[in-house]
Amino acid sequence: MPHKDLLDIASLDRSEIDHLLDQSVPFKELFTRSVKKVPALKGKSVLMLFYEASTRTHSSFEVAAKRLSADVINFDVARSSITKGESVRETVETLQAMRTDFIIVRHSRSGLPGQIAKLTRASVINAGDGAHAHPTQALLDAFTIKEICPDPAGKKVLIVGDILHSRVARSTSLILQKLGVEVAHLGPGSLVPRLCENIRRFTDYPQAMAWTPDFIYLLRVQMERQDVQYFPSLREYHRLYGVTEARLAEIRDRGLYIMHPGPVNRGVELCDAVMDYERTLINDQVENGIAVRMAVLYWLKPGAAQSS
Amino acid sequence: MPLLITNARIASENSPDLTNADVLLAEGIIQQIGAVLAVPEATRVIDARGRILLPGMFDAHVHLREPGFEAKETIASGTGAAINGGITGVVMMPNTQPAIDSATVVRQVLEIVKCTAQIPVFCAGCVTKERHGKELSGIDGMRALGVKMLTDDGDTTGDPAVLMRAMQYATEFGMFFASHCEVPELAGPRALNDGPVSYRLGIKGSPACAEEIIIERDIRLAHATGAHIHIQHVSSQLGMESIRAWKHRGDVRLTAELSPHHLLFTDEDIGDYDTHYKMNPPLRTRADKEALLQGLIDGVFDLIATDHAPHTPFEKSQDFTTAPNGITGLDTALVSLHHHFVATHKFGWNLIVKRFSAEPRRLMGLPAAAIAEGQAVDLILFDPAATTTFTRDFMQSKSQNTPFLDQTLNGRVDLVVLGENILLER
Repeated sequence: MPHKDLLDIASLDRSEIDHLLDQSVPFKELFTRSVKKVPALKGKSVLMLFYEASTRTHSSFEVAAKRLSADVINFDVARSSITKGESVRETVETLQAMRTDFIIVRHSRSGLPGQIAKLTRASVINAGDGAHAHPTQALLDAFTIKEICPDPAGKKVLIVGDILHSRVARSTSLILQKLGVEVAHLGPGSLVPRLCENIRRFTDYPQAMAWTPDFIYLLRVQMERQDVQYFPSLREYHRLYGVTEARLAEIRDRGLYIMHPGPVNRGVELCDAVMDYERTLINDQVENGIAVRMAVLYWLKPGAAQSS
Repeated sequence: MPLLITNARIASENSPDLTNADVLLAEGIIQQIGAVLAVPEATRVIDARGRILLPGMFDAHVHLREPGFEAKETIASGTGAAINGGITGVVMMPNTQPAIDSATVVRQVLEIVKCTAQIPVFCAGCVTKERHGKELSGIDGMRALGVKMLTDDGDTTGDPAVLMRAMQYATEFGMFFASHCEVPELAGPRALNDGPVSYRLGIKGSPACAEEIIIERDIRLAHATGAHIHIQHVSSQLGMESIRAWKHRGDVRLTAELSPHHLLFTDEDIGDYDTHYKMNPPLRTRADKEALLQGLIDGVFDLIATDHAPHTPFEKSQDFTTAPNGITGLDTALVSLHHHFVATHKFGWNLIVKRFSAEPRRLMGLPAAAIAEGQAVDLILFDPAATTTFTRDFMQSKSQNTPFLDQTLNGRVDLVVLGENILLER
């Protein structure tokens, strides 16, 4: 069944995930050509509605839409009446009048893109909502892992950091589980909830390494998401959970891959040397992000009945 | 005109068995109850065959929103919803605008009640001015106008020293305290239980201990001061166990209430951010829900109260974090309790009469309404074989923020009679 929106990973089944990841391959191949553009969405319009600051995700979607020949409209939230107390509903009714085909939404409130999706015929893509979901990040992470391991079932991914506040941890854990990947979480006890089914929980780095992960996925430490203090200092965080030079040596010996959704905090999640480590996949993730977002835009059907 | 209700099955708080009888009402008094009564002249007869005659329900926890939030509800519309649901008396919470924290505001509210309400409406008063938790409200001035319950409902009185002083002061006047229990620093602004659902939805949850800590704190303050403490809308099993243990000790004046929604729903019902399941305290787990039902049956809870909390469709259509807390309950409570518990034999009509009619009136120092000769008329007729569909048109509350919207449940309130007035007849 065609989907109108992409709001989370939970609403995708295994065959849909496989389809999207397969479809991303030819889009990525485009990037090596001199002309990187295809006319797939010519005449369609994509509205970028970012209530939360974002450089990477915003540009990635914009590039993806433009490579599909869509028109991109940036709705400047900071300068709109949204900041003057206009409700989301009123904003969406205004946007509806613009008859865009796609709306890419980022918002600090969990569930808000889903609400917008109910109010519009346009396809809504969740570009990150609160601590809820970030489905295109999950797809690009899965794609990046599949480039290394074409059949990732049985591989182990250790996600490190602030699981509690992270939409990336939620969506990426879920997509990897759907692909048969084993997932574990590592981080401070105050930031790793005990609530995730089928996900191992570690608060001690050596124990997590003894689990023998194949990929180490570092989350950005986001002090701004924390309403109270969850750990004593960034220094202590780096010492306990960061990829220090000593830990990088162990990671290199074991041939593990390192991932990070960006932007990185050097000296917190990782030391400088990680950026030069040959099995750091951070730049691959950025490039793959454009390909999977093209696949998502190409796959969704604006005006289709709501899927969820 | 006198009214003869024939073939009624009469419910009482003391026995699960229903008594078959005819009931003659005249001049606002139940004149006679008997197996087969003769029909006096000029008497209207209602054949109640198959239907149940109950005393009117009494809801000790409602938000009528007037003055200040008339877009959500007014005293007129809220009491209309009460009558629609078979409820013949309510206690309104003081979190209006202005808050009910002085004789001046009580007088204003009572004036609106006098002009617009067809059933008794009692005011609760704030513990502290503007519910800010700092300075004591105009306690004696409110008492002189009939206020008995003091509460900062909607919030906990945060500073235990303030509440303790208020207890020492107001208990001397025969007033009692009702507590909305939560540690704000733990609960945060989010009305969602901390657990797998809050994790899935990516909204920080409020842990049950945030409620349980204040339940325990306020009972201890009452124990220390001799005050009567009434714990509002208990949602967690351990909170209930605190109340059970303190009642077992027997040396504190303690009552507690339970809302229908905490008996009926869990956090899993929130599904995809459905704000009709957002209230504070939040819906918790299946285990909590089942423990609360057992607590109600065991008598840990003195009464059922709806926490009727109307909000406009616009407010509830906002995202889950922004939308306000609460659901309506006056229109739906009795029918939903019948549908889910009485009709399925989880408990009998005697529990409904005791916990939703008699005990809440006793809490307010009122005599329990009963179907007995010589009693003032305060009764409802309920048809367990009929159904009710809770459409927007059917519900009398100005707001329809309820999970029962457009649901059809078993049972229907057919008749509400208070004094000499038939307030509702279907």
